[in-house]
Amino acid sequence: MSLTDTVPLHASSQSDIDEIENLINASVHSGPATVLPARPPSPPRAQIPPVWDTVKRDLSRIVSNLKLVVFPNPYREDPGKALRDWDLWGPFFFIVFLGLTLSWSASVKKSEVFAVAFAVLAAGAVILTLNVLLLGGQIIFFQSLSLLGYCLFPLDVGAVICLLKDNVILKVIVVCVTLAWSSWAAYPFMSSAVNPRRKALALYPVFLMYVSVGFLIIAID
Amino acid sequence: MDPNQPVQENYANPKTCFFHILFKAAGLAFYILSALFIDNFVIIFVVTVLLAALDFWVVKNVSGRILVGLRWWNEINDLGESVWRFECLDQESLARMNKKDSWLFWWTLYLTAAAWTVLGIFSLIRFQADYLLVVGVCLTLSVANIVGFTKCKKDAKKQIQAFAQQTIASRVSSTIQSAFSVV
Repeated sequence: MSLTDTVPLHASSQSDIDEIENLINASVHSGPATVLPARPPSPPRAQIPPVWDTVKRDLSRIVSNLKLVVFPNPYREDPGKALRDWDLWGPFFFIVFLGLTLSWSASVKKSEVFAVAFAVLAAGAVILTLNVLLLGGQIIFFQSLSLLGYCLFPLDVGAVICLLKDNVILKVIVVCVTLAWSSWAAYPFMSSAVNPRRKALALYPVFLMYVSVGFLIIAID
Repeated sequence: MDPNQPVQENYANPKTCFFHILFKAAGLAFYILSALFIDNFVIIFVVTVLLAALDFWVVKNVSGRILVGLRWWNEINDLGESVWRFECLDQESLARMNKKDSWLFWWTLYLTAAAWTVLGIFSLIRFQADYLLVVGVCLTLSVANIVGFTKCKKDAKKQIQAFAQQTIASRVSSTIQSAFSVV
């Protein structure tokens, strides 16, 4: 979740950021050269863009992050660039959605299933990130949380399919495919963050988490 | 918005204040009342956390800028390092901010965090781990906003000090200059 003005700026937020930056720069640059700090005539209260523009900006960021992480694209090899504009809204929606889907599929103990799924996924993302950091890897905490959340998207798709069709064989196939997809999505980012000798140590727990989520999807009756 | 403030200052942005409070109050109210009426934990969780997330977004993106002129965010720079940015409007605009607005902004932030803490203690006493999870998420979101905006305020104070020093320095030098030009 970030209100950012990294290049390129989203057009919708350009005006208000410029306004506010002008206000800030005016006070910084009115320096000792002038007799009195030459302040421009007080601008009218900076026009905050309508809320809808900010919502649209955040939504488009979620979509673009999703495309960068989960689908093949030229930036995959450079993980730093891939998720530069991290946000936690996408992961939040995907985790909740997965919990809801699992909960819906369960015929008993629905609340427990949801709470467990949410807690495991959220805590799992944090622990996986700490794992990489403790292995001496170079990642940014929130960027990694964001990535692991977005990589849940294929499993979400798999869970919905399994919800609709109750055939066990189909479930196993779908889960295997989506599991491979999730791991493929997470691989470049995680592996490039650590020393090559420690790659397996960093990747194995990620794979393990996705496998256990896959089992949850298959086993939910 | 009323540019000619009446003698007794009113809220300058009533609609923003309303929304600032709306989601906080709705989240707390839903959580407290739902325990009485709704039996389904999943619904309680999803709705409460959704309201808390909406509140986080509104405070960070809308009411922070409008009510107190502060904003904060995170960037990843070209070196791949994460940089937290805290910004405030310049002195004049900050001074023009409505006092009631900022009072409301800060106090509702603090009160909400305190309320969630109390509710968390209740669920801890009752050994309800799943409700503790809900409270934990909502509390994290509230605290994140408090920390972010408090750091902005500190940045604002530093800016005031820097500006004051700058102004004093410029006045001193300009006085000396005008003294020399007269001679």
